[in-house]
Amino acid sequence: MTPDLWVLLALVGLPFLGAAAVPLVYRVLGERTAYFAALVALACLGLVGLLYGTEGAQSIDWIPALGIELRFYVDGLALLIATLASGVGVCILTYSGGYMHGEPGQPKYYATLLAFMGSMLGVALAADLITLFLFWELTSLTSFLLIGHYTTESSSQYAARKSMLITVAGGLFMLVGFVLLHAVSADALGTSTWALAGEGSMLENAGAMRAALESEGLLVVALALLGIGAAAKSAQVPLHIWLPNAMEAPTPVSAFLHSATMVKAGVYLVGRFRPLFLPADAHPGSLELWTLGFAALGLLTMTVTAILAVAATDIKELLAYSTASHLGLIIAGFGFAGHLGAETGAFHILNHALFKATLFLVAGIIAHEAGTRKISELGGLREDLPITAGIAAIASLGMAGVPPFNGFYSKEFLFHAAWETGAASGGLYYLIPVVAVFGSVFTFLYSIRFLMLFFGEKPDELGHVHSPPVSMLAPPALLATLAAVVGIGGITGTFDVPLGPLEEFVGNVIHAVEPAGAEETAFHYYLPTTVTPWAIMSGVTIVAGAALYPQYGRLHDGIRSLLRGPVRANWWYDTATEELNPTSTAVRDRVQNGLLRTYATWVSAAFVVLTFSGYLATNVGVPLPTEPATYLPLALTGVVLVAAVSVFGDVSLRTATAVASVLSLLAVGIFVWAIFGFGLAPGELATQPPVVFVLALAAVAGIAVSRAPSHIAGVLTLSILGFMVAIFYILRDAPDLALTQLVVETLVLVIFLLVLDKLPAFYGGWNRGRMARDGVLSLAVGAVVTTTVLVTTAASPNEESVIARGLAEASYPEAGGNNIVNVILVDFRAFDTMGEIAVVSMAALSIVTLIALRERGETR
Amino acid sequence: MSYGDDTTVIARTVARITLPLVLVVAIALLFQGHNLPGGGFIAGVLTTAAFALVYIVFGMEYVQETIFGDEYEPAGSVAGPLVVDRYRTLFGVGLAIAAGTGLGAMAFGKPFLTHTDEVVKPSTEYVAWIPGADFIFGTLFEFHWATAFVFDIGVYFVVVGGLLAILAVVGGE
Repeated sequence: MTPDLWVLLALVGLPFLGAAAVPLVYRVLGERTAYFAALVALACLGLVGLLYGTEGAQSIDWIPALGIELRFYVDGLALLIATLASGVGVCILTYSGGYMHGEPGQPKYYATLLAFMGSMLGVALAADLITLFLFWELTSLTSFLLIGHYTTESSSQYAARKSMLITVAGGLFMLVGFVLLHAVSADALGTSTWALAGEGSMLENAGAMRAALESEGLLVVALALLGIGAAAKSAQVPLHIWLPNAMEAPTPVSAFLHSATMVKAGVYLVGRFRPLFLPADAHPGSLELWTLGFAALGLLTMTVTAILAVAATDIKELLAYSTASHLGLIIAGFGFAGHLGAETGAFHILNHALFKATLFLVAGIIAHEAGTRKISELGGLREDLPITAGIAAIASLGMAGVPPFNGFYSKEFLFHAAWETGAASGGLYYLIPVVAVFGSVFTFLYSIRFLMLFFGEKPDELGHVHSPPVSMLAPPALLATLAAVVGIGGITGTFDVPLGPLEEFVGNVIHAVEPAGAEETAFHYYLPTTVTPWAIMSGVTIVAGAALYPQYGRLHDGIRSLLRGPVRANWWYDTATEELNPTSTAVRDRVQNGLLRTYATWVSAAFVVLTFSGYLATNVGVPLPTEPATYLPLALTGVVLVAAVSVFGDVSLRTATAVASVLSLLAVGIFVWAIFGFGLAPGELATQPPVVFVLALAAVAGIAVSRAPSHIAGVLTLSILGFMVAIFYILRDAPDLALTQLVVETLVLVIFLLVLDKLPAFYGGWNRGRMARDGVLSLAVGAVVTTTVLVTTAASPNEESVIARGLAEASYPEAGGNNIVNVILVDFRAFDTMGEIAVVSMAALSIVTLIALRERGETR
Repeated sequence: MSYGDDTTVIARTVARITLPLVLVVAIALLFQGHNLPGGGFIAGVLTTAAFALVYIVFGMEYVQETIFGDEYEPAGSVAGPLVVDRYRTLFGVGLAIAAGTGLGAMAFGKPFLTHTDEVVKPSTEYVAWIPGADFIFGTLFEFHWATAFVFDIGVYFVVVGGLLAILAVVGGE
């Protein structure tokens, strides 16, 4: 059964509508907006519920010209992520009602959280690569806003910037990967498509896509690009560094975005593309490129970040590193070929979301009620927070992978998959299970350390710890109960009474990440009943962890002492950004120093360079005019120009008159010669003398501007030039242009005169170097403009031009107007005009704002 | 109270005579724009130029108190002259009109900003007994409407509002 399009659109749209309504709701409800937001999330959860049992794609056109659709696809994986996003969302938003009490910026907080939830639902359901990318980047954006919630704290700013830089940069790599896939799909499917899943999509034709990628030699590239995107989002080594900093966000955000949902987007991407890159006959021993890449990346991340978690001093930092570590586990699971790998990844997404969101909420309770997050300052919290202690026990034992808690089962699948892969290839590949156990020992260590916050001696400084309000206690209790149910399901499963609905749910997820045509086996999980290598691996992990735990303090200190300089990935990030800062400051000081002429210089120079390189790149030849009728006015104007330059070197009126007379005679002479020498018809030349006269006057005015003794004289002279251009338009039968030029010229003159009153009378000191630079630049701009005019008019606007004739012919029949210029403006190209009037409005607004703001600054 | 005492009598007299002419020309340009030289942009700039003339000759105070009937706040007040608000509303309305014509097309299932036009000639069926009825009631009242004109009015408002806002703010300094 295919899902209903309206349900899908409502599901993705509702959170955004809710977000838009938050500012209004906040005015009425105040802090209780949290419960409004939770209701929105609950409605989404209900809509997700409607999607159960459906599978398939629905789409509506978005940008048909590019083949981009708003396409959604529902299957087990999409449902899992959507359920997590909306379900955990309900818990988090309810919890926020207690946690955010008295905090600043609440409307923004709830609106952003809801928008995030919508984006995450979009990521989960999108099946068009561009739609997916859009929602993907929206989650980065909302995450940026939420991490930087405390906008004035410099640590928040740093963290928000860092996460934005890393995740958005990763997203861009992914976009390139998407474009590659789109291009390759033309070979594989006959027509290029953006559709990822559903009919005629890439996943449906995975074999052909893979073959096309391989034959083009793009398989590695595409895999690497998608991998970087996923790794940046899911905090994989070495891009994990943004996640611990992201803990600057309020704790509910950490629980929601940075453990249960957003970081799962990368994992989701890996799961989604797994059937595309893994052949249906892949088995643990086949060592596909996919396995080598993702299993290695996942295991590396899992181990490194588990070690870093042991070195953490802050409970949220510990949880952040542990999140990265578990995401590594999931990626490694998806990396392993075969059924076991899919089981590991799919099941652990669910388990991790349950126990990690719980633990973050517990951490929030601790921070809120005990007033500190330092591990060394906490202990014995059991006495004051008995219920929280119980919740934390279920969740952290699950995280440690202790049977029968939920994390144990998925970790068991990982060990199984790692062992099979190692055993299938033998030799050095036995390192895979060894690394898996090694990393898991550290996971066990930090999980128990977190649990021990509730046990042992209570430090004296801690004082009395309040009980949390119900709104903060109920959500983690609910999540922990669910985690416990998963655990109990494993126990009953051992006795052949499995937790049917859950197993079916996870089974659907597994089916979604399996290549089409893979052998279908029902999903079951239970406690080990026989001695197997992977059961021994679990045993070794727990025993080794328990044996090492008394040495936790020494391990913690030892790892910290090793983390110095270039060993830390953060060192690279900080060094790079700090080293680049002076460069950007230097560039800013040169390019944008607040002086208008500097801006003008750079803009003009950029214009010259870009236009010229464009001409060079496209090999445009400069067509010089050859017809006498064409170059005659140009030549004459040139003569007048040259003469005028010589005249305007401080000469007497008498000399100037003399030169003008000579020029007039010369011009007449040229005309006589043109008529008799070239045999041009006098009618053809009839319009030439006035044109030459007007243009020459304009040129003279142009030169006079540069010689003007004052601003006012300069502006008045400049307007001569403008009016001459207007007359030129009249002579050339362009009344609309002429009218526009005349009125604009008049108005600009008035505005100029108003502004000039405020300007200093003198332009500032003359500097030989600057004069030379400005001179060269002016000549270059002039050259570019001349070239452009020559190039554009060379395309013969006379009879051959289809555009001009087409517009002229279409004007009355299609738009009912005889004035082609106006018809183009308000009908044919009305969208352009729309943009232009928007610009006029914006310019007016900014002038009003700038001047008003400046005055405000003055009065304060 | 008299205005523009610091300008010459010539300037004031000329302004009084030319101003109505300029405004009428501007309106004419707006209306004929679809078939003859003109259009919303030119008409808007011309209207603004007319207002600029009033500003220069009679002063900002005159415009504000006699045309809009507002209390005059001297320049340098926090939000700038009060008229600026009116101009801001004007170009907001203009933008809304222009966008509205585009959305109107979408309501009929056409792409954004699709325009249409029609020549409407009144029926002379019931007055056919009057001599020359076809010309008097038909041809004379023949009306050619185009939705593009509504868009052009939007352009006109934006240009007038935007430019006058700039002029008022800059001139108010």
